[in-house]
Amino acid sequence: MHQISTAKTFWLFFIPACIAVALIPLFTSSEYTLRVSALVIFWIGMSGCWNIMSGYTGYIDFGPVVYFGIGSYTTAICMTRFGALFLPSAILSGVVSALIALPIGIPTLRLRGAYFAIATFAFAETMKQVALEFDRTFGVKFFEGSHGITLPISGHDNMFFFYCVFAVTLAIVLVHYAIEHSKFGYGLKAIHEAEASAEIAGVNTTGVKLRAYVTSAFFLGILGGIEAYWITYITPADAFSVQKTVQMVIMTLLGGMGTFLGPIVGASFFTLLSEVLGTKFVEYYLIMVGAVIIGIILVLPSGIIGTLKARKGIRFI
Amino acid sequence: MDTVLIQAIINGLLLGGVYAAYSAGFSLIFGVMGVVNLAHGELIMLGAFTSYWLFVWFNMDPYITIPFSMAALFVFGYIIQKYIINRVIELPHIMSYILTFGIHLMVANTALQLWTHDFRTITTSYSGANAAFWGLNIPYARLITFFLALVIIGALWFFMSRTETGRAIRATSMDKEVARIMGVNIREIYAITFGIGAAISGLAGTLISPFVIIFPEMGLNYTIIAFCVVVLGGMGYMPGALWGGVILGLAQSLTAAYLSAGISVATTFLILFFMLIFRPAGIVGKGLVA
Amino acid sequence: MTILECKNVSKNFGALAAVQAVSFTLNRGEILGMIGPNGAGKTTLFNCIVGIHPPSNGRVILDGTDIAGFKPYTICRMGLAKTSQIMEPFRTMSVFENVLIGALHGGQMSMKEARTETDRVIGFVGLTQHSHKPSAAISVPARRRLELARALATGAKVLLLDENMAGLNPFEIDEALELLRKIRDSGKSIVVVEHIMRAVMGISDRLIVLNYGAKIAEGTPEVVANNEDVIEAYLGRKAS
Repeated sequence: MHQISTAKTFWLFFIPACIAVALIPLFTSSEYTLRVSALVIFWIGMSGCWNIMSGYTGYIDFGPVVYFGIGSYTTAICMTRFGALFLPSAILSGVVSALIALPIGIPTLRLRGAYFAIATFAFAETMKQVALEFDRTFGVKFFEGSHGITLPISGHDNMFFFYCVFAVTLAIVLVHYAIEHSKFGYGLKAIHEAEASAEIAGVNTTGVKLRAYVTSAFFLGILGGIEAYWITYITPADAFSVQKTVQMVIMTLLGGMGTFLGPIVGASFFTLLSEVLGTKFVEYYLIMVGAVIIGIILVLPSGIIGTLKARKGIRFI
Repeated sequence: MDTVLIQAIINGLLLGGVYAAYSAGFSLIFGVMGVVNLAHGELIMLGAFTSYWLFVWFNMDPYITIPFSMAALFVFGYIIQKYIINRVIELPHIMSYILTFGIHLMVANTALQLWTHDFRTITTSYSGANAAFWGLNIPYARLITFFLALVIIGALWFFMSRTETGRAIRATSMDKEVARIMGVNIREIYAITFGIGAAISGLAGTLISPFVIIFPEMGLNYTIIAFCVVVLGGMGYMPGALWGGVILGLAQSLTAAYLSAGISVATTFLILFFMLIFRPAGIVGKGLVA
Repeated sequence: MTILECKNVSKNFGALAAVQAVSFTLNRGEILGMIGPNGAGKTTLFNCIVGIHPPSNGRVILDGTDIAGFKPYTICRMGLAKTSQIMEPFRTMSVFENVLIGALHGGQMSMKEARTETDRVIGFVGLTQHSHKPSAAISVPARRRLELARALATGAKVLLLDENMAGLNPFEIDEALELLRKIRDSGKSIVVVEHIMRAVMGISDRLIVLNYGAKIAEGTPEVVANNEDVIEAYLGRKAS
């Protein structure tokens, strides 16, 4: 049957590709190459999280960074205030983000279109303000406000963080694979195409959306925790920065929303482009980003992979 | 009565008027085209800068610069809609707000390149002058802006209900396909509407220029406030911009007076979040719900 | 044997009484026609039954259970499916995938079972040659049958068909009627809303007639066709 041979072809490419990527640190002596590779993998993970929720369902989330920030702060607080180790803190970060995502997701996911986007954005900004003002308002020493929290120096090198983000991103990519071939995935796509029809065809739309939202939040939380430990210093402005949301959105858009390869292609392309141009055109970086967004929407609204899928009729990429 | 309370209420109302002024354009564009214009703040910023440069180069009083900023922004808005946004009008709405976000990035950062991060202000003979009585302080500039906000919204309402273009715009917003069949050139109407929305936003930029700090990145905050105002008042429902503005202004000034300035920003977002969850059609319930 | 019953179902939208205290029963293996002028409340009544809006009043009983207020997906999984007047297929997906969703989610089947059932249902409605085409690329009659297939794949015992024959030419209508009989013969119970009189009169065991949200007549096609209130609803009062 057609589906089986596609699956076999997929694994034939995917497994070697994963092994090749996993071996990068052993084949390069350049710290720079290592750092950039880790950065690309990190952004594949980030945009993958956005793709799981917004790419597949079409519910455009403008506040995913909130779960990243919650993750960063959870890890920071666990490690500095409770002396916890990194790995358990990072996992806990994912759990905390997921637990917060659940009660937030339930009412928010009832909104559609622009309203959902604005509500998620509003929630993210609220949390940023909470991190900034909480200590001052309640006279405690918890988030440290704009001073930020400094984490213990890890003593780990880039290779350690490479493998941390690799592990998480691999999980995110496997979730994508599961989505493309499962009941859950079909539910997500049905919601995207025609939510009302999906409901009367028996899709538990609330449940499906919530699952995607919480899954995305979980992984974002872990990624946030990893970054906090990696850069050892977090502030509300950075941890909850709308800039991160922007990048997640552009990369997924560029690659193709709701596709398996979209985040991989989009994040790789955009991160590498930014590295090249960012070193040369630091001041013009954001202008370029704006131009890229406009360009994609006007020329390739389905992204690279999306357009490829439509033109060649390939499925499951 | 407590002077602090009255002052806070007056501040809130005046602030509300300002908010309403620069949210009306946003509401218009969403109401007619369903476009959430994330570059809205940049239109205000450009209006403010137009006034600033005219003030600096020609010593024009900001209020005199009104026709210039309105004309400049109308043209700018018209061109953007006609040649860029119109191209995604048939696609799902999400595309238009990502597109306008791209425009926001380009405009804000180009302005940053041209005019640097420097904060600028317009200081006229009446900047900082207040009407002071009964222990209260009412800045003249804000008072003028408040009244002009009422005038803008009134004029807009008049335009929409009494002129032919205005009626064409309303017809298009109600049912684009029927309007098209009736011979209305939808793309042209959209371009004009965006132009008008931009002109109003430019006007708002001019109105606030005497009493705010002007800098290229100022736009995003205004876009956010415009969202809040319009969601509170009801998306696409013009008088709602007034309601929403006043409520938000009062909420902010009261929390700032009795709690802290930092809390008032958090309050804005909290209000926005809860409004969307519980009453997306706005306080008066006449907004469009997606 | 009653499989679906509405007891005094009403639906108000603000001051508008879209459906007023409508009661009817659907028996197992029966085809019940529902007719009435446009705006009579037929679609609204269907929407109340499948859970899109909860009824303002009254009870909806599916196979002994009161389902009023349940969510649409729950009602679907309990065995009640609807086709829509304005079709909304999952456009970028193939015909097969459209029906698959019904089997997976509505029918609560595993992927393997669902695929098998989808093939079977597609064969049953006669869409096999279109199975892998994108659902946006098929003809109107094929799209109507796709709606039916998706509803059948959910394993529904009761089908509510809202103008499933709109847009068909007379030949296509005959084919559609054949399919309906085949569905009924396979053990399903159907409520059919239609404006095409010869179709609905020909296929229904019984009819109910709605006008301005209320039921004005009920009975066999012959009885209903000769009912004065019905004639008046459609044609207006006779000038005497």
